[in-house]
Amino acid sequence: MFPEDLKYTREHEWVRVPGSTEGSVRVGITDYAQDALGDIVFINLPEVGAELTGGAVCGELESTKSVSDLYAPISGTVVARNDDLEDHPEVVNSDPYGEGWMFELTPADPTGLDALMDAEDYGGHVEQA
Amino acid sequence: MPGLVGHPERMLRRVPVLGECAGRDRFAVMKRSPLHDRHLARGAKFAEFGGWEMPLEYAGGGVLREHAAVRAAVGVFDVSHLGKARVSGPGAAAYVDASLTNALAKIAPGQAQYTLCCDDATGGVVDDLIAYLIGPDEVFLVPNAANCAEVVRRLRAQAPAGVEVVDLHDEYAVLAVQGPRSDEVLAAVGLPVGHAYMSFVETSWQAVPLTVCRTGYTGERGYELLLPADAAGGLWDALFEAGAAYDLMPCGLGARDTLRTEMGYPLHGQDISLDVTPVQARLGWAVGWKKPAFWGRSVLVAERAAGPARRLLGLESAGRGIPRPGMPVVDAVGSPVGVVTSGTFSPTRRVGIGLALLAAEVAEGAEIAVDVRGRQEPFVVKRPPFVSASPTT
Repeated sequence: MFPEDLKYTREHEWVRVPGSTEGSVRVGITDYAQDALGDIVFINLPEVGAELTGGAVCGELESTKSVSDLYAPISGTVVARNDDLEDHPEVVNSDPYGEGWMFELTPADPTGLDALMDAEDYGGHVEQA
Repeated sequence: MPGLVGHPERMLRRVPVLGECAGRDRFAVMKRSPLHDRHLARGAKFAEFGGWEMPLEYAGGGVLREHAAVRAAVGVFDVSHLGKARVSGPGAAAYVDASLTNALAKIAPGQAQYTLCCDDATGGVVDDLIAYLIGPDEVFLVPNAANCAEVVRRLRAQAPAGVEVVDLHDEYAVLAVQGPRSDEVLAAVGLPVGHAYMSFVETSWQAVPLTVCRTGYTGERGYELLLPADAAGGLWDALFEAGAAYDLMPCGLGARDTLRTEMGYPLHGQDISLDVTPVQARLGWAVGWKKPAFWGRSVLVAERAAGPARRLLGLESAGRGIPRPGMPVVDAVGSPVGVVTSGTFSPTRRVGIGLALLAAEVAEGAEIAVDVRGRQEPFVVKRPPFVSASPTT
């Protein structure tokens, strides 16, 4: 029920390897997360060039119901972000693993990905929630 | 991303902005609507409203779609959490008229009126409510969920001999059918429609007594249906059976909040409270100033004459900021001038809007800033409504 080709965080981000450019990874939020948040109406993403620390807050998501932080799944440098979401944040609800991607980063340490969950573990994590 | 409900391992900084009371005991016993099972069946997400566990939004809907359905077609809300009370006995209407702010004598039996229950000493708003004038000896009141018991207590304490005040909070259900196609849906289930705004018709539906009120909290043409709680399920089912042809959508209290905020309708507990008077809230139109008596009269008359120190006005974003209750408002040079009391993303206008209690010197059109979690976001002070909807047409 969660895509097998992605890695996941406990904070409901997904990570796709590779991103659109050599050495980068793509980051978004899961279908479970978008459903729990409800209609997303505002997204604040990190700037290209920003140095992110894994587990630290790097942005903000606001829905009709709540405001939530966006976390960096791993440490790295932001190399791209999905600026289409500024005018169309609802795409995160309709296509969280595709057009609703959020940003891409180059990992500071490639082994940082090893700590993330696979789809099965993430599914278990969600069930406990 | 954090902070989804039920993630104890990382529940940081989630800021609920609607219908949920942070810090409230989540395991406290909440009341439930007689339609609770039907909401579950429709995949509703629930939130607490005034001590009731009520639908926030439905699967297949969501606040934005539900909001749009009411503006463009028709939606039905379960608002059974609203309070209900009956004041009856010889002179009941005169007693209500001498207690609540609005001039009940201005309306005839069969009409309803928006009115306020104020604290006699401070003029602060105990509750805002709708009074249905049945006749000189009977008035039906619909207060807010959280305030029903207090309104009943205050009315009962002052009631003259022979006037009885009965709390009927759990005895009745209330369904709000709202939107330009609401007449068609009601007609399809055999209910009377087309009566004037703020009037009501007492009828029966499948042998159940039912009141059809031309009232609402959305700004759209619509009706509120009041009926015994145990009959609500049958009416809910009939409305959906008939409403399919009119794109009737179940709507949660999330959409109700965005709809009312677009109209600038105040919500008790946020925009108005015991700490806010009708003069400050620009609700003087709901006060019968010429009446010889109502609770809070002397203090409110004085405040009206002197001019209020603060006023409830609208805010519209000049950027991308979304205001939320409690956020500070500052003027062009950064001095505090007030606080946001309601705020949301306007689904119709696609911009952040809100209501704020602002220092009296802040005029309409003023460019101010709202502190949105540390960011100074530009806003313009406006007089609501933010949309052109009208419930009277």
